[in-house]
Amino acid sequence: MKQFYFFVVLLVVSVGLGGCAETKILEEVGLTTLVGYDLAKEDGVESTAIIRQVGTELQSKVSIITAENATIQGTRAKVNRRAAEKLESGQLRGVLFGDEFAKKGIGHSIDTSLKNPAISEGMLLAVVEGDTKSLLEYEYPSIDEIGQHIHKLLDQNIKSEQVISSTLHEVSYDYYAVGRDIALPIIKRDEELVDISGIALFKKDKMVGTLLVDDSFYVKLSRDDYHNGTHELKVKGDELSSTLLKDPPDEISLVFDPIKTHRNLKLVDLKQPEFDMNISIQARILEIKDNINIGDAKSAEELEKAISKKLKSEISRVIAYCQEIGSDVFGYGEYYRSSVRNSELTEEKWREMYKEMKVNVNIDFTLIRSGVFE
Amino acid sequence: MFKRKSKSSSNENQASMDSEDAGEAVSVPTVGADFIRMVSDAVHHTADLVVKPIPPNLTLIYIDNLVDTVTLNKHILEELLEQPIESPENIVSILSVPQVKFAQKNRESVEAMMDGCVLIHVEGYAQVVLALIPTPESRQVSAPENESQVIGAQIAFNESLSRNVSLIRRYIKNPSLCKEDLEVGKQSKTSIAMLYIKDVASDQMVTTLRQRIADLQIDSVLDSSILEQLIDDNSLSIFPQMLLTERPDKVSAEILNGKIAVIVDGSALAIISPHSFIEFFQSQEDQNLRWQTATFLRLLRFGAVVLSVFLTPLYVAALTFHYEVIPQTLLVPLSESRALVPFPPLLEALLIELIIELLREAGVRLPTKVGQTIGIVGGIVIGTAAVQAGITSNILIIIVALGALSSFTTPSYMMGNVIRIIRFPLILLAGLWGFYGIMLGFCFILVHLLRQTSLGSPYMAPFYPPRLIDWRDSIVRLPLPFTFKRPTNTRPEDEDKYKPEPVNPEKNEQKVK
Repeated sequence: MKQFYFFVVLLVVSVGLGGCAETKILEEVGLTTLVGYDLAKEDGVESTAIIRQVGTELQSKVSIITAENATIQGTRAKVNRRAAEKLESGQLRGVLFGDEFAKKGIGHSIDTSLKNPAISEGMLLAVVEGDTKSLLEYEYPSIDEIGQHIHKLLDQNIKSEQVISSTLHEVSYDYYAVGRDIALPIIKRDEELVDISGIALFKKDKMVGTLLVDDSFYVKLSRDDYHNGTHELKVKGDELSSTLLKDPPDEISLVFDPIKTHRNLKLVDLKQPEFDMNISIQARILEIKDNINIGDAKSAEELEKAISKKLKSEISRVIAYCQEIGSDVFGYGEYYRSSVRNSELTEEKWREMYKEMKVNVNIDFTLIRSGVFE
Repeated sequence: MFKRKSKSSSNENQASMDSEDAGEAVSVPTVGADFIRMVSDAVHHTADLVVKPIPPNLTLIYIDNLVDTVTLNKHILEELLEQPIESPENIVSILSVPQVKFAQKNRESVEAMMDGCVLIHVEGYAQVVLALIPTPESRQVSAPENESQVIGAQIAFNESLSRNVSLIRRYIKNPSLCKEDLEVGKQSKTSIAMLYIKDVASDQMVTTLRQRIADLQIDSVLDSSILEQLIDDNSLSIFPQMLLTERPDKVSAEILNGKIAVIVDGSALAIISPHSFIEFFQSQEDQNLRWQTATFLRLLRFGAVVLSVFLTPLYVAALTFHYEVIPQTLLVPLSESRALVPFPPLLEALLIELIIELLREAGVRLPTKVGQTIGIVGGIVIGTAAVQAGITSNILIIIVALGALSSFTTPSYMMGNVIRIIRFPLILLAGLWGFYGIMLGFCFILVHLLRQTSLGSPYMAPFYPPRLIDWRDSIVRLPLPFTFKRPTNTRPEDEDKYKPEPVNPEKNEQKVK
């Protein structure tokens, strides 16, 4: 009987306390799908939030609310005061940073996003050329909801490996790891569309440089393995031997599709530091401007050599640029730290070493399956 | 209060049993008139007691409604009138009735009369002849209605104990198939048969079950489902711990697995025990189908149980607390269909679940022809109208209907009911505490299940305690060469159903050559 009373009391208390749980009923909250941060006056933040609300006429509306304040959370409260429904960030799919804002540092933004358990680790981050407000508030004739559109745009291009992956999970890893820096895609408004224009390179949490979107292929190639996507390359005509093509033009454009790539990094010199980076690429040619018979083993080999040479120079150029601006987006520092015992690598120490670093790039390019493609 | 009541009733029991004991010792009087008086006293001069003296020395006594009059006329009266009878032994030799016995005691003869015997008393002898000719009151065996199967025997038990036992004996012709007769019910005196195979079923379990039935102090057991509640391990639990089935092939298969079957006279359901939780979701058809198909169907059924129990609570929890887990593509249709609903998700879900339960209950109670109409009217009209009127969202209707449909895939009706009912507390918990509430409810159910036993054997076998060999025939069914062992939870005296044969005998033969 005593036990029975215990359960009755437990039941009453728990049902009573059940009312204390804060409900967030789907149609009663305003779902923020995308947020953009710009630099405001006096180092403040200007947030632009895209909010999806459910209307009574069975049609969801999208509203864009902008607010300025000193901190991100401060702007959030301010935006909330202008919204009809309580704003929740659990459906947040993307965060955009204006380039001025990114140059000032995005570390605190990554930090607050990570601390909110409702925010998905799969959320995508990107930098906007110019300010986010004008990008988001522009009325695109062919885009219904800009928030979802930008997420889909980034997601699609990341999945097909056209651009560097920038989920919150990966970005926060790059941010907190010693000897690794963030790289984010850059988007901009191109007339009536949104376009991925390049990648932003960060030093710790500050944006220090940009690369063209074509160069993101090289960054990705030297960062991790590749399974997908296509790449266009221009090979100089005089790099091809005369047996392959008589009277070669100045440049030959070709498009290849890496089927499988593998990056192998090796630390050969601890002091300086010096790395051997061997990248093996198995690819097929999708399109080649001039009439070269790839089916012929000999000419295929010639072409492989030419492409390897070109790739090597491009990758070396990208690495040199990154070294110049001091952004280690490839994660050499982390490789150094993990392969040297008791290295006790610190951020500052690596920044010094990174400037002096030498990378020997070796490309092993193989053409396979040059018959069909879809 | 309860205690006092039970005490007084047990006293009464004691008293009545004493007097019965006294009656039992009295032997049959030698004088015919005394015997008639004794019998009519014993049945309190009931109106349907027939006393038929056959001069010079015979007296026939029977209850009119209990004996078959055609047999009585043809095989007893005619033969007794043909020639003079000198002794009870004489009667036995001339009667062409299969079951004839002698009785020396009053009580014994009266009880036999209640079973459908004709009492034949010969003047001057202190014993009476009992000729069993009961009225053949049982319907024909028919196809199983509640546990129908596509592949397999199309026969179900009926309400006659002897017919049901004969159905099982037809499947298992082994002389070791034991039938023990028991009687329960002070008033009803219901015959109960306990069936098992000696040297296969665990002796200990047989003893336990026999003891449980024998210990019952109850006035009547009208159906095996009542007996099941009386003898199972935890009658307070919502989960049945013994299987009720109407299929003789299922009962036979389980007896062959080393289980014990109990059949109650007047009930078309047999009790099987011990029965583990997992086995409630296995159909006899799984054995009849090929193993790949059977495995698929079993997985489908287990998936359906999970779906049935958790789908609606998940909907309620996700819409009330955890909007962030809703996939982006589902966000728009979900929020749009919810936009007009005036209730919180909890009330909405409870309402629709109750409507579905109402439809089901109405369908069961109504005659078959009307039942179908009501199903259509209720399903389509209420479903569509509710959405149009804005009481509920489209997606919830789909979820609830899916949950209800899934619960009907459970082969055991008893377990199917449980699956549908435990959803309600989970919905409530989901509405109060979201996913934490569902997890709490799930843990509570799991702990409860783990604590249950069926005839002393663990209810969650073969998963807890893990019996790896039984996993071969649990949520999957491996081909027959692998499932040669009897389930360990029956603790069989003989563990192997058959010798494990090579998987592909033909191949091996070729090798030998």
